[in-house]
Amino acid sequence: MMKRFLIFASFVFIATLTTFAQQRIIEGRVLDEHSKPMENANIFIKGTTEGTGSAADGSFKLTTARNRDVVICVMMLGYSEYTVTVKDTDKVLLVIKMKPDNVSLDDVVVVAGNFKLKGNSQWGGMSAVDIATTAGSSGDLYRSLQTLPGTQVVGENGRLYVRGGESAESQTYIDEMHVLSPYTTTGNNEPVRGRYSPFMFEGVNFSTGGYSSEYAQGLSSVLPLSTKDVSPISKIGINPSIVGLGGGGTQAFSKGSVSLSLNYEDLKPYESLFPDKMDWIKPYKLFSGGSQIRFNPNDNTVFKTYVGYDRTSFAYHTNPLLENSLRDLGLNEDNLYLNSTFRKDYQSGYKLFAGGAFSFKKQNIDDALVQGDSFDDKEWELHLKSKVTKRNTDFLKMNVGAETLVRHYQMFYDDSLLQKHAINHFISALFAVATLNITPNLNAELSSRAEYTSINNGWSCTPRVALTYNLNGIYFSGIAGRYNQLPENKYLVRNTGLSSQQCTHYITGVYYEKKDRIYRAEAYYKKYDALVLNNADSYTSDGYGYSNGIDLFFNDRSLFKNLEYMLAYSYNLSRRKYLDLNELSTPQFCTKHNATFSLKYTIPSLKTIWGVTDRFASGRPYHDPGKGGLMNAETKPFNSLDLSLTYLASKRVIVYASATNLLGRKNVFNYAYSKYQGEGGDYQSAPVTSSSDHFFYIGVFITLSGKVAYDVSNF
Amino acid sequence: MKTIVFYMLTVLILLSSKICAQDLSTSVANLKKANTEKEYIAIRNGLERLCMQSPGEWLPNYYIAYADVQLSFRTPSKENKLKYLSDADTYLKKLTDISGTDASEVYTLKGYRLYSLIALDPQTNGPKYFGEVTLNYQTALKFNPDNPRAIMLLAMFNNDMAKFMHRTYDDFEAQISKATELFARANSLPNYPSWGKEWLDSRLSAK
Repeated sequence: MMKRFLIFASFVFIATLTTFAQQRIIEGRVLDEHSKPMENANIFIKGTTEGTGSAADGSFKLTTARNRDVVICVMMLGYSEYTVTVKDTDKVLLVIKMKPDNVSLDDVVVVAGNFKLKGNSQWGGMSAVDIATTAGSSGDLYRSLQTLPGTQVVGENGRLYVRGGESAESQTYIDEMHVLSPYTTTGNNEPVRGRYSPFMFEGVNFSTGGYSSEYAQGLSSVLPLSTKDVSPISKIGINPSIVGLGGGGTQAFSKGSVSLSLNYEDLKPYESLFPDKMDWIKPYKLFSGGSQIRFNPNDNTVFKTYVGYDRTSFAYHTNPLLENSLRDLGLNEDNLYLNSTFRKDYQSGYKLFAGGAFSFKKQNIDDALVQGDSFDDKEWELHLKSKVTKRNTDFLKMNVGAETLVRHYQMFYDDSLLQKHAINHFISALFAVATLNITPNLNAELSSRAEYTSINNGWSCTPRVALTYNLNGIYFSGIAGRYNQLPENKYLVRNTGLSSQQCTHYITGVYYEKKDRIYRAEAYYKKYDALVLNNADSYTSDGYGYSNGIDLFFNDRSLFKNLEYMLAYSYNLSRRKYLDLNELSTPQFCTKHNATFSLKYTIPSLKTIWGVTDRFASGRPYHDPGKGGLMNAETKPFNSLDLSLTYLASKRVIVYASATNLLGRKNVFNYAYSKYQGEGGDYQSAPVTSSSDHFFYIGVFITLSGKVAYDVSNF
Repeated sequence: MKTIVFYMLTVLILLSSKICAQDLSTSVANLKKANTEKEYIAIRNGLERLCMQSPGEWLPNYYIAYADVQLSFRTPSKENKLKYLSDADTYLKKLTDISGTDASEVYTLKGYRLYSLIALDPQTNGPKYFGEVTLNYQTALKFNPDNPRAIMLLAMFNNDMAKFMHRTYDDFEAQISKATELFARANSLPNYPSWGKEWLDSRLSAK
């Protein structure tokens, strides 16, 4: 009885003490990293539910009966947790300065040269879906990128040419692994397409220069693509189109998914409807298939494996005008790409990446250069890469890694004499990237790459520094970086002693975004050294050159509801002593002025998205052997007005149609000259034009499974 | 003496859990009444404090995720919307490791979060998340076919989708009636998820 009384009495005593204890006030202000007041921060005594929120001026007042030392905790989304011990004093006035958390710090992007095209991205103003709906892209990733500033229109081959660089200077990566051959093969003067559907990718990051030293063997630009994560949805769909039939699907499991896609294209029916200028023996055929396995054993671990194969074949009569004999050029090509990656985020903050990729391409061309000859080449590359990333402090994040690219190339050319060449070599590199958050407004990225190239026993070190300063939402960037790239295998096979080609980038830019409007401007200077030079069929590394220019970009989604438009302009002046250009000259693929106007308008009542793109490029330089000097003439300017229409016919049916060059302009990209002088001493010439003035596409994407709607992706 | 200490500790533990339960009840009650961004933030802050104290309890985690989704509809800043939805995702992922979690309610909230992402950028996120929204609601209904929130949200989503396609969703009225009926006899456990009824009532009365 006594004990029970004691318990009761103690309880009453404690309760009374608590009730009448002197109230203590802890006050202060919460500020962000810019010392501006932070509203709605959560301030509380750790281990209790006693707390309050900060007012608009950042001030707070926390009343508590606790008279011992207490730990005050402040939390706010996007910021690191802040704790401070408050001693047992009567009154406290705290000034709490919050720091962005690791996620927010990692969001800092060096703006110059970088277009992040991931969905919802604020940097590029373009999403992955936009790629397909951009008029003139015909659903192709690379053509869509060619609407961005810095790219140049090279209409007869469709590859990426960036800021005065060759197409081979642009490299594509899938899940950080190199792709040796990202483009399909086509006939003469027919633009290529990317081998991979844009809908395979969750993220598209296009850098037109000044990229991190992590990326290997690219002098002009890099295009890192990230495939989608595990699909929780099983789906199946087919895609009949004017050029063929595609289809595939995904099977979802509890911790992974498996996707398969098959595609067959045969241009014979299309050619009969819209004949082009080619004299086909066997019109273009492409069979392609791809599969991806994605497995997430837990939230912090991702395995991905992608394999893609395609076979291309076609044959046509060559243009007899400039040749002595008629050739029946026939091509067969097999291409395989296998990519497997592993990512793991450890609780200690380390992020581990390891991957391997194998690219293989085999090509056979009959009547390649003269009647009766045969050309075979086989090329493969094995890319192995691993890296570790860790944010060491609020100030520093490190990314270090190593990679090796093992390459093989062989070619046989058989006319009257058999020419046979083969090379095996490797490139090994170590890279380190340090991201420094110097002040809340100033960020720097320092990176360096040490590389060994076995073929010429060459060592190199390529440093890069990038700075970004945020002045009230206006980002100023400056980058200086050096990049190396071995000459293409077709040149190395003729001279294994060729040095790595070098390019130094200097870029400065400004970026501003407000209310769905993006403004950006960049100026650059690129200096090339050790370019491949052809001296009477002898290849040397004596070439050099430069490229400079200005890129301007404006994107607006706010003018009218459902309307988005984009303006891009590039000025480029490029000159190089390179390959057959034995004097410093503007290469044939360069144009001084490039401009794009692109518009998209969604009409919900008609369930349609209309796209209009107009691309303009000033004339291309070409060499007229009848005149003095090199690259002594210029074609007429290029212009193409393109249209696309996306129609949501029903929940599971999308119709996509596009047409290029609606005005039917006869765009000339170059002039080809006969090797032989005519009777009057002149050289017969023929304009190099696209094989067809227009390209029409109509495709229907049909979803066959129940849980998916308006989804054109099988992955 | 030992007995005294034991009793006192028991009383203190009971008292603190009672305080937590009261705090949660208050937060849940306030969530039902909340309307503005400021109100939701204040409640979310309280829930966050509760969660720090009892990280192994599923309801505080669940309600933070719910408040985050509600905040994503109310905050005008796109950057903040994405922050809230990212935070909701973190809490929803945490719930998979907490025993006693109602899987049906979690899948419903997962679907609702993705719906908010679609609302944020329909052109980009519509094609991307449409299937997952439906899948999450359907999974919620597999765990509990009588979850009125999953039925209501799935019906509304299907109806919106049909409108977008200039069609009609014939089952809409039947599904909404079913949800209304289920709301009326829903789980009356204290603090158990019961949101949605007021919202449905207001939408029906506005017709």
